[in-house]
Amino acid sequence: MMSLPFFGFFASLACVFAGKRTASIVLFAISLGVMLLLFKLHATDPLAVSL
Amino acid sequence: MSPDVSRTLNALGLLAISLVLAGAFLDQFIMHELPCPLCLLQRAGFVGACIGLALNIKFGPSPLHYGLTILAAMAGAAVAMRQTLLHIAPGDAGFGAAILGLHLYTWAFVVFTLIILGCAGMLLFERQFDRSVRVAAIPTIGMVALAVAALMAFGNGASTVLECGGGLCPDNPTTYELLQKSAPPAR
Repeated sequence: MMSLPFFGFFASLACVFAGKRTASIVLFAISLGVMLLLFKLHATDPLAVSL
Repeated sequence: MSPDVSRTLNALGLLAISLVLAGAFLDQFIMHELPCPLCLLQRAGFVGACIGLALNIKFGPSPLHYGLTILAAMAGAAVAMRQTLLHIAPGDAGFGAAILGLHLYTWAFVVFTLIILGCAGMLLFERQFDRSVRVAAIPTIGMVALAVAALMAFGNGASTVLECGGGLCPDNPTTYELLQKSAPPAR
């Protein structure tokens, strides 16, 4: 699950190599969306505070 | 600034971001500090920032491409700022070792800010977007930068799979979960 943004961006770079600009941009947008979703899931990770 | 000069600068920027990701790998494999979920998302932000620069190198400079890099850098900066604030309370030791007094997530915020400022600076030069100017073939440094960025993207994906398997990552990772599961049971 956490690896999805990396492989999505990798696929986007592969599209750049292949000369497919639109596909690259679409894959970038999807991967960024997944990254932000994962951020929402992990943004409330517990604080490690010793007071 | 001509399109060719812009592409060369984009290639150098791409290599610089790849260097940051390589530094993160060094910390992971040499210092044995496994990246936490927020750390991984910051790495994803860096990889995402590479896409716009890669598009500039391959297809020629475009404001849209710079916009993609800025969006990815803003997302990465938000994650870095969140992690910085999670550990900002007095007495909090922070996550991982500090380098020159700052933790990696704070340095990440600095670098994301530099990426955004760099893109803003590049957008000031309009001649690079002139399609009537003949553009040479992709410079060698551009191809090298693209290849290195792709290697970093795939490498981070593979490392994340080893660390977390197919699900979400633990908040404070200590082992590579996939390697633990596949290891033979102790006698």
